[in-house]
Amino acid sequence: MSSSFESLEKAILTGDQQSGTTEAVRLIESGTKPLKLFSDCIEPLLDDIGEKFSRLEIFLPEMVNASKVVKAIHEAVKPYLEHEQDVPSKGKIVIATVSGDMHDIGKNIVKAMLEVNGFDVKDLGVDVPTQTIVKTAKEFQADIIALSALMLPSLPFVKDVIEFMEASPSVKIIVGGGPVSKEWADEEGADGYGDNAIDAVALVKDILGV
Amino acid sequence: MKHTTRLMDIIQRSLTGPLMDEEDFNDKHVTQGLARVIKAYDIHINQDQIINQDDALADRVWEAAVDFLASCGVYCQTTNRLILFSKTEILDILKYAPANAWIGEGTDAVQEVARKIEDPRRPLLMGSSIGTPIEDEYFVPSMISYIQEPEVDVTMAPTLTNIYGYDIRTRSPLEILSSWREVELTLEAMRRAGRPGMGFTGVGSSISDVGQLSSDGPGGLRQTDLHTFGIISELKTNFEILNKLTHIIMRAGIVDPYANPIYGGLGGGMDGQAILITAAMIALNVFFMATCVGTSPAHPFNFNDTGKELLLSSGLSFQALARNSKLMTNLTNTPVGGPGTKTLLYECIALTVMMTVSGGSRILGPRSATGSITGHFSGLEARFTGELLTAASKLSRDKAEEIVQKAYSKYEQDLAQKPYGKHFKDVYDLKTIQPTAEWCQLYDEVKNEAAGWGLSFD
Repeated sequence: MSSSFESLEKAILTGDQQSGTTEAVRLIESGTKPLKLFSDCIEPLLDDIGEKFSRLEIFLPEMVNASKVVKAIHEAVKPYLEHEQDVPSKGKIVIATVSGDMHDIGKNIVKAMLEVNGFDVKDLGVDVPTQTIVKTAKEFQADIIALSALMLPSLPFVKDVIEFMEASPSVKIIVGGGPVSKEWADEEGADGYGDNAIDAVALVKDILGV
Repeated sequence: MKHTTRLMDIIQRSLTGPLMDEEDFNDKHVTQGLARVIKAYDIHINQDQIINQDDALADRVWEAAVDFLASCGVYCQTTNRLILFSKTEILDILKYAPANAWIGEGTDAVQEVARKIEDPRRPLLMGSSIGTPIEDEYFVPSMISYIQEPEVDVTMAPTLTNIYGYDIRTRSPLEILSSWREVELTLEAMRRAGRPGMGFTGVGSSISDVGQLSSDGPGGLRQTDLHTFGIISELKTNFEILNKLTHIIMRAGIVDPYANPIYGGLGGGMDGQAILITAAMIALNVFFMATCVGTSPAHPFNFNDTGKELLLSSGLSFQALARNSKLMTNLTNTPVGGPGTKTLLYECIALTVMMTVSGGSRILGPRSATGSITGHFSGLEARFTGELLTAASKLSRDKAEEIVQKAYSKYEQDLAQKPYGKHFKDVYDLKTIQPTAEWCQLYDEVKNEAAGWGLSFD
């Protein structure tokens, strides 16, 4: 832990939004460039958090809370970004569990892993109609749509999204969940398949070249 | 408070409970609620062992779970309201929980009973792949491979990959057709195996209320079968689930729901997971009027429940329930290994022995190869599980610990490799519906090895 960022890192690790934003603003007002704050402290720390979760040394709540602190910091430092570029997102992702399927936590784990890895994620929740996914992906200017389906009878709705998005080939579609396999994903024209949250992050990085 | 009176009470609470944002429920009620009771009840699992040996810890997990459930409640996504029962109400309702139930018809019927820790009575075996996908042509033969085993007490169908060649789609007429097709084929498999009255769980191919309930009636699922539904993780419901419950209650069917907490999720690590499983099983009876309560906790990356973390937390939870309630509990065995691998058989030993000495009433499965690989399951692993149930019913927890440690050391390193094994058609002779010599040899070798560890298969 770098001594100059020790308090900020502690706030992120413990999910303390108040301390995290206060310390981030203090560091910037003391002369630290906002982008340096992200590149030298926050991004490596989030990478480490993602790694720890993949080894189950920490759990979903800690990962989600860390992500919330970072979002709050991002908002708090915006006024200081006037003369600098905004903190760049690694990519925009719309994530959803498809229509007819209520499974939530697997999707939430993927979402949290993507967020701590620096991706801008819009979570549409569970049992999401095909049209909502397609419309949101266009409005959000998503790079990737990540679809979760845990039950076999949900798979036709994944196929519907793939078919709808054929007209927008720049938006890549990745799929995951119990009944999904790489073979199925290839056959149905998805751009990628992730067996679990760790795979999903690697897949997104690969597709977006980050 | 029973039946329609209880049902009306639950429905009313779902319509009148406090309004709440779902994210706040996840964070403040579930995650923070668990953190509070872990501290308040001093819950620290000894990670040097796999089977809990500490009765006082099991009792504290029970106390923590009741306290947590009373403050957390169950979230209804349809109404955005909390369904709440006080601690007094929870304990009062649990007094009326059934302690036994007959499942199935005629001479094929079996009685499930609430068990205690180290109970010498053998738990029931629901021999099944539990909804693993299977191609139409192998559906009946694969089911027969389970039903024909004398060790199997009740069963459940795999999932059809399609209906008459078409994709099955939730909330569509195709789902209703698949629901009926599943029941028709299950009844056919039971007739062909000579056990037409065997109880079975249904309906697995359908998710929606309309799909599932369409075949729950005359000509379909019988009153004496196990009428299942899952609640949403963690501790959530909606009107589709309450519709299923209402129909089952009005049919006077056996209510056999499940809750599947995900390890590393909102419950965090092992301590929280043990409390969450316990609370969810209590909730199934108190909030969902369950006759029998079930769980199939899952690892977030391997999707099994045979890793050490889940063996420990599930076992502790089952012990908490066995010592403090008369609930009939069941656990799904979801190994990573598939047919034709020794990994699968070692995983069966660990989970089956753990559950048996920890007071579970019924084991489900094995859902081989995590239930996600089409056709990767067979009846032989169910035969082995049934033999293990009998053998483990004679064990103390400390002897069981020794055996489970040995079995675990045999497969721990294999889990990440995901040895999904072979398809049913490659490990069974499809004409005789008997396991191949190669698959039998692996079974014999592992069984002999387990006998050497102290499991008596006589």
